[in-house]
Amino acid sequence: MKGNPVYKREMTISSRSIRLPMIMLIFNSILALAAFLNMYSVTTRVEVTAEISYSSFLQMYVFLTLIEFFMLFFIMPALTAGSISGEREKQTLNLMLSTQMTPAQIVMGKLLSSMFHMALLIASSFPVISLVFVYGGIRLRDLAVLLLLYLSVALLSASFGLCFSACFKRSTAATAVSYGFLVFLLLGTYAVNVFVRSIMQMGRADYVNQVGLITSQANSGVFFYLLLLNPALTFYRVIGEQVGNLDLFVQIMEEFGNRPSSPLMEAWVPVSIGLQVLLAAGFLLVAVRALSPASGKPRRKKKIIF
Amino acid sequence: MLRIENLKKTFGKYHALDGLTMEVKQGALYGFVGPNGAGKTTTIKILTGLLAADDGMVWIDGEDAFSHGQQVKEKIGYVPDVFGVYDNLKVREYMEFFASCYGLEGLMARKRCSCLLEQVGLEDRTDFYVDGLSRGMKQRLCLARALIHDPALLILDEPSSGLDPKTRREFKELLSELNEQGKTILISSHILSELNQMCTDIGIIDQGCMILSGSMKEIMARVDQSNPLMIHVYRNMDKAMAILRSHGCVRTISIKDNCLSVGFTGDVQDEVLLLQQLIDAEVLVRGFYRQQGSLESLFMQITDHKDKEVLLYEGKPGI
Repeated sequence: MKGNPVYKREMTISSRSIRLPMIMLIFNSILALAAFLNMYSVTTRVEVTAEISYSSFLQMYVFLTLIEFFMLFFIMPALTAGSISGEREKQTLNLMLSTQMTPAQIVMGKLLSSMFHMALLIASSFPVISLVFVYGGIRLRDLAVLLLLYLSVALLSASFGLCFSACFKRSTAATAVSYGFLVFLLLGTYAVNVFVRSIMQMGRADYVNQVGLITSQANSGVFFYLLLLNPALTFYRVIGEQVGNLDLFVQIMEEFGNRPSSPLMEAWVPVSIGLQVLLAAGFLLVAVRALSPASGKPRRKKKIIF
Repeated sequence: MLRIENLKKTFGKYHALDGLTMEVKQGALYGFVGPNGAGKTTTIKILTGLLAADDGMVWIDGEDAFSHGQQVKEKIGYVPDVFGVYDNLKVREYMEFFASCYGLEGLMARKRCSCLLEQVGLEDRTDFYVDGLSRGMKQRLCLARALIHDPALLILDEPSSGLDPKTRREFKELLSELNEQGKTILISSHILSELNQMCTDIGIIDQGCMILSGSMKEIMARVDQSNPLMIHVYRNMDKAMAILRSHGCVRTISIKDNCLSVGFTGDVQDEVLLLQQLIDAEVLVRGFYRQQGSLESLFMQITDHKDKEVLLYEGKPGI
């Protein structure tokens, strides 16, 4: 990490820019405000009922981690989607590519710097998140799992941001496509399942009408596995398990025809994180290839003889 | 130092390079000239590894540039036509960043940066932000950056565009100095008068092909030979005209204010003999010289084929 020139330069530039401190300020202000409002409502209730509801603090944990999760997921593409296309717009990309630095080093430097920014954001949010330890209920192991989840989500969103940044000439286009893909991951994977399931249901209904049998619940088939790429669902699975409330997750799984006790459901988190990391690696590979226009010998065009 | 053979590149249906072949000798200051869209920048981008060629071969310092792209990059310093800067980066940091891109770190990199910044006259600007420098300074910084790894071949794409005449002259002097130090330089430019003065070799490219190349002396001699002989006659114009009319090498004669412009196909020896003949015939000659050609006139001569074609078609009725 230390030896990557792009990473070092990005660190120098960002340390002089007001952008990162502003992001951190807004990020932590939102978190702190949410925590303050939650604690305020709990203490106000105590004044009225003289009863402390400890589950409220767990709700605060869910609420804060959820906000942090979505903020990270939405901030990372903003940090990365303009990083390579921005270099292209500033005419500095060609300067770097004409040196001995490889496209992989450029992409890795950009990725590392954005991951470092993300790590700073997470570290700076610890004081607010640690409010939940005042009342207990959450173990350090839970926080470690949460951190792992944040890392995988940040890696995924940084990777597709970088990929689209390398593929598109303009930062605006790269940012728009990055957020489009982000929405697809969050809502599209779910929408595809709803759509496929409703089509399957229509088919089943016709069959049931013909033979007069009682219909069984239709499922979305292989499209169900798309949900493994949905970081929000995996996040909910982890947090739900930590606070002992998996109702919504189970409901979604059953809705698309999967039993909550199936092996996939048991191994949902590691499989999902593994797939997201693989997807991120794929995006990074595409980004590297998009920056390598002149690799190897020229491809001679074959002459067609009639 | 640089050899290109049958280089081809197409963008869709457009042939940017159509079998370009050229050679740049070690220690040359090679002027790479051509009209807009001739394929200069495409060639440079292929040489610097920024663009893939469709066909052909490129050797830099004897090494195949396509097979050993990364190793060859060590031998090239590239100055693009547009100078890109980073916000919030100082001159020294900018240089050190590019030094680290070539694996130069620490004291060695710092020494090299100081040395180059001194060479380009920016030693007192090391703590200035790059985006705050003037265009001329940026261009000099870009040159220093391209030299950070001590490349054998320096490639400059339109380096003087947008510079004022004074800065342009300083930049030209800097390039000549580098050439004297043994660097091979390939420079693409539209400012032909500058190339005329500093280049040792020249190549004119048009429609993706090399149409004329060679040493500056050879090419300028060819240009001069096709230029008219200028004879300023002080007295005895009639005798001078009679001698010229009977001379075998004279093709055309035109007179303006006692100055004869003679289309003369002979060489230097024929010119000397003609002068002797005029003096023997008691023609008083005030001036006798071959009109000097310029790179600009040569460039216009060999690249204005499109205009001629258009004129030809326009002259024909019904087309």
